[in-house]
Amino acid sequence: MELQVKNISPNNFEQCIKCTICTVYCPVLSVNPDYPGPKQAGPDGERYRLKDPEFYDKALKMCLNCKRCEVACPSGVKIGDIIQTARIRYDHHRPGLRDVILASTDEMGSIATKMAPVVNTMLSLKPVKVIMDKTIGVDCHRTFPAYAGRTFESWMKHKAPDQTVYPHKVSYFHGCYVNYNYPALGKDFVKLMNAIGYGVELLDKERCCGVAKISNKLISQATRDAELNIRSIRAAVAKGQPVIGTSSTCIFTMRDEYPHVLGVDNADVRDSIYLASKFVHELVDEGKVKLVFRPDFHRRVTYHTPCHMQRMGWAIHSVELLRMIPGLELVPIESACCGIAGTYGFKKENYATSQAIGKELFDSILNASVDEVVTDCETCKWQIEMSTGVPVVNPVSILAEALDVEATRKANGL
Amino acid sequence: MIYDTIIIGGGLSGLVAGVKLASAKKRVAIITSGQSALHFLSGSIGLLSAVDGEPVSDPIASLEKLPENHPYNKIGAGRISSMAGEAADILKAAGIVVDGNAGETRYRLTPLGAWEPTWLVMDGIASCPHPSKCPWRKATVVNFHGYLDFFPEYVADGLREAGIEAECHEVKLPELVRLRKSCSEMRAASIAKILRGEVLRKLAIELNALGGDSEVLLLPAVIGLKSMQETEELQAMVKKTIRYVPVIPMSVAGVRAQSMLRNYFEKLGGTYFLGDSVSRGNFSDGRLESVHTANLGETVLEADDFILATGSFFSQGLVAKPDAIVEPVFGLDVDQTAERTERYDKNFFAPQRYMRFGVETDKEFRVSRGGKTVANLRAIGSILSGADPLKEGSGAGIALLSAVCVARKLITLN
Amino acid sequence: MDKTESTPHYDVIVIGAGATGAGTARDCAMRGLKVLLVERFDFTAGATGRNHGLLHSGARYAVTDHESAAECIRENMTLRKIASHCVEETGGLFVTLPDDDLGYQATFVESCHKAGINAEIIDPKDALRIEPAVNPDIIGAVKVPDGAVDPFRLTTANVIDAKRHGADILTYHEVTGLNMSQGRVTGVTLRDQRTGATRRMDADLVINTAGIWGHGICAMAGIKVNMFPAKGALLIFGHRVNNVVINRCRKPADADILVPGDTISLIGTTSSRVPYEECDNMEVTPQEVDILLREGCQIAPSLAYTRILRAYAGVRPLVAADNDPSGRSISRGIVCLDHATRDGVEGFITITGGKLMTYRLMAEWATDLACKKLGRTAECRTATTRLPGSETTDSDAPVSHGKRHIIELGADQKAALGRHGTMTADIEFADSNDALVCECEEVSVGEIRYAIRELHAHNLVNLRRRTRLGMGTCQGCLCACRAASILGNELGDRRQALTDLCSFLNERWKGMLPVAWGQTLVEAQFSSWLYQGVCGLDPKVLPAVRKADRTSAECDQMQQSVK
Repeated sequence: MELQVKNISPNNFEQCIKCTICTVYCPVLSVNPDYPGPKQAGPDGERYRLKDPEFYDKALKMCLNCKRCEVACPSGVKIGDIIQTARIRYDHHRPGLRDVILASTDEMGSIATKMAPVVNTMLSLKPVKVIMDKTIGVDCHRTFPAYAGRTFESWMKHKAPDQTVYPHKVSYFHGCYVNYNYPALGKDFVKLMNAIGYGVELLDKERCCGVAKISNKLISQATRDAELNIRSIRAAVAKGQPVIGTSSTCIFTMRDEYPHVLGVDNADVRDSIYLASKFVHELVDEGKVKLVFRPDFHRRVTYHTPCHMQRMGWAIHSVELLRMIPGLELVPIESACCGIAGTYGFKKENYATSQAIGKELFDSILNASVDEVVTDCETCKWQIEMSTGVPVVNPVSILAEALDVEATRKANGL
Repeated sequence: MIYDTIIIGGGLSGLVAGVKLASAKKRVAIITSGQSALHFLSGSIGLLSAVDGEPVSDPIASLEKLPENHPYNKIGAGRISSMAGEAADILKAAGIVVDGNAGETRYRLTPLGAWEPTWLVMDGIASCPHPSKCPWRKATVVNFHGYLDFFPEYVADGLREAGIEAECHEVKLPELVRLRKSCSEMRAASIAKILRGEVLRKLAIELNALGGDSEVLLLPAVIGLKSMQETEELQAMVKKTIRYVPVIPMSVAGVRAQSMLRNYFEKLGGTYFLGDSVSRGNFSDGRLESVHTANLGETVLEADDFILATGSFFSQGLVAKPDAIVEPVFGLDVDQTAERTERYDKNFFAPQRYMRFGVETDKEFRVSRGGKTVANLRAIGSILSGADPLKEGSGAGIALLSAVCVARKLITLN
Repeated sequence: MDKTESTPHYDVIVIGAGATGAGTARDCAMRGLKVLLVERFDFTAGATGRNHGLLHSGARYAVTDHESAAECIRENMTLRKIASHCVEETGGLFVTLPDDDLGYQATFVESCHKAGINAEIIDPKDALRIEPAVNPDIIGAVKVPDGAVDPFRLTTANVIDAKRHGADILTYHEVTGLNMSQGRVTGVTLRDQRTGATRRMDADLVINTAGIWGHGICAMAGIKVNMFPAKGALLIFGHRVNNVVINRCRKPADADILVPGDTISLIGTTSSRVPYEECDNMEVTPQEVDILLREGCQIAPSLAYTRILRAYAGVRPLVAADNDPSGRSISRGIVCLDHATRDGVEGFITITGGKLMTYRLMAEWATDLACKKLGRTAECRTATTRLPGSETTDSDAPVSHGKRHIIELGADQKAALGRHGTMTADIEFADSNDALVCECEEVSVGEIRYAIRELHAHNLVNLRRRTRLGMGTCQGCLCACRAASILGNELGDRRQALTDLCSFLNERWKGMLPVAWGQTLVEAQFSSWLYQGVCGLDPKVLPAVRKADRTSAECDQMQQSVK
């Protein structure tokens, strides 16, 4: 019989056999018993919601969207996607001011960078924090990442002519964080890519990847941004340039959440969207590029696998690159969620849950007694730095620092 | 990326093979698409408890009664004993303490009060050489208030049938009652995450207060998710001997075993790709040269040898279509009955023919594709054909011994 | 509750607790008759529990059987009122596929209107908007007032109401003979299926509502009724494929109705004559599965890849007209036989034929006849009196789905409200009684206990019919042992509960087997590991129950109830 040969159902929740493995690995469930857990919130609840949308449970907003349930599922059920899609489809509660502010990284960033010193000072003042806590519900323990005085984009404009000399080209998706808060990471990326013979260009237009808007249910804005980004990415790919980012969350969102949650088709360019560590590691692994490191670089670090990195299965690339640095001692720790989940942990009502989830990770980082934690995600960085006091860096920055630039250029025939 | 051996499937069989190969300084990667069936381990590992429905008391002596294509016959009856010893040693090296030896059947108490014959019993799990030779005169079966996956009255019935006096008690801890805020989530693993530290001390006080003249306390096996630390702590605080009875899923002992084996494998230098799946293989001259995975995209993973340990239907190692059973990764040849009606017996409890289905292998566990042997791709564990793991009580035994057998072969080959 | 201490003399004994029997017992009791309802297994164990659960608008019969169609639409409107907690007002479509004759549509609509059915031709595009699962290639669509009705709840509600009006109920009691005296039926001889004990029950009148098994009951009085068992097979899909009933607009044929029922969807049916002896053990063949799928995909293409939970089959009691012993002229209409006038046997009525939709009307006819024979004059009130669970006059009360305020309830309480309507108030949810036993269908400990204590649930199969336990995706894998444990403790007999558990798992497997591929086979393998491996459950080594005693579950197994 030709029927029923393949389950190609869009209703992927049917694959669930109720084994409950996902419930073991849900970080929220471990600390917050109000959350019904991935099995109930995802595939079980979905059957009921299909029967009657009134079965939608408001507790679904407690999901971090870390996708650890999906990684654990032996039946390939996209549990996290089911939950996020249900929130979009069935939760008619409109996001409040606080959520809009937290989610509008681009809009806030472009205003704040212009007045960076004032804004930074304001946001770090205790009274301001207390007011934000009391009025809009941004937890007072949190510090907003400082805004840079000059955006990465404006710095890149000056660098554009330098980038034309390289034999290969890539497009860089810098993301809001690099642009408004931490251009240094972008500069490290350019340094690394240039050293291995790649010139860096910006996309024609770039908007926030949308992860914060998705989790705060600003879906139409997120979809608009996503469509713009994919158009820009298409244009870059058409020029023969892969698109590379330095934030695992941005890259994960553009590769997987666009089609699965927003319904924005990216099938033609998905394979051309890379994370920097994957791109560089593949080149090195295939022997196309060589890295030479400074003999005087010494550091003891551990690598924290961000949840979205875990979902993409790309931690191997960052780890393998780190292992290539002779002076670097890599202490393994067990992969665990840091609890921040983007804007989730900034919300007053989630602060306690967020810190409870992260505790296991914080303890293992402190026990590892390392100089730095390496990770590919900026929100993990804020969370870990705030909670452990250990500095956190992107693998690109470590590579850029450890690299013997001249020797590397030479080794790559530049 | 290049490895000596790539193992597809990260359950009991894949991990044991991985550990043995990594111990021999091989570069090994395990690719696994989600967590494994090891999560349902009953707390014991069977070698062979029945042949053709007849119980056996000496597994080794009974091997000759098995059919020719049975995996144990491919290993060779003469080598089973030494391999069984080695398999147990590998588990011990990973920190999994087991009790028992291959020449002697032990009996494990089940959550419904039956005595199940088995081979290795994990530390702390209630078992004895024979129900009639149980060392206890009187036992107290303890459950947690509101926990539905353990059946103390039934366990007590099982004890009484073995001539042991039994009484039941319920313990109510507010920290566990809190789990019930979500009406589905009082699960074994959720309980295990709470029963640590201070809560464990409270439990010890409750248990010590039970009094009575029993020698042993039987608890549901819901303590110690990552290591034996909690069970050891609890025993140190409680006067009476504590033994654990498995519960219906999730098996905390299984999660613990999975986690310990994986950590040990990674400590030995192995690479564990969790949540990834092999999308296709590149074959040439009757050999598997390399594989692609869903997450790594264009990155190929190459190896001298490959091991297929993707399990049975549960783990998607085999997929049943209406008219055929297929091996979905490489399309390997499968031993099966063609007619849909002939796969099954109408009696749920009768031997089911589909349980014996699996990939065809030669005497060295090499698989075949289109009738031709693939020289460097071997299958291990429950994807193998020719055994009825359930009726023979041989599932975990085959997983362990085929892993050791194939790993030994690969070590001596190169 | 099943035990009647003394053996009172009844006005009426009703044989068979399907919808018709339960409805007849209710009607008789409401009219003041002293009633005993006897059932050899469990409520709904026969055809009542094995059909589409379709709240027919009657449109399906409009062209071929005007009378049935008119009866259906009247009862349809009645059930919406009196059994609102059993009914889901989904609406229905009759769609014409490219291969079908669009000309039939006009005849169909005209016939519907004649029968009083509000059938409205709509644009196929609108049909797709109303129900996106429908085949996009349809060339015609008609909207009709079809709906879904849960036969288990409906029957249980009738039984409860009969009891409230003084009826006695005996399940697991088989009628082994009709007591005859001077050419008159004076009662029944019953065998308790569990103990094997027999006893006689006297009544002025015996009403045979045993469906196809009524053939055998008649034979006990030496009466021949030409019944022809017609097997109908159905498939259950894992979730709601459609939210509106989809029918094919053509002469009734195989697999042309797709009904959304609670959390699932059902496609059916096939139709084939089977020997009477096979009625007790219906098995779905691979050919039937293939037909259902092939035809089903025509009306809803997504069935081609949607997970199938199980297959089952029921037996329609078709009755040939008395003047046609060959059985060629079959009526699907109601057949009410007064055996005094037909066969010269006093004190005995058979009511059969008909369909789930007309159960109440059948009960009314039978009770009218009973009253006439017994010289009573009470009016029938079943068409206007709401059933337990639907008792409310306030249209905003929490009896149906889609009401705002249920959102604040726990998942299990919301689900229970859908199942038991206003009777949910009797369910205890406090102190861990809200813990879920069945996670797929959200059945709590409290609901299980309620069903055992109040709804004549003696075993797991009974519990499934009362609560949907084990009817969901995992088919009992996670919940069966939890429920067995509660059952054993509630009934004070754990050995029996373990035997029940084995029977239940076998009963679940029977329905999964015909469609055991893909994740359905995975589920079965998982169940096997869990019960036979982890739990070491083996029916062969279970402690033997006394030989004369059978558990109710074993009784069920003799008949292997399927759905």
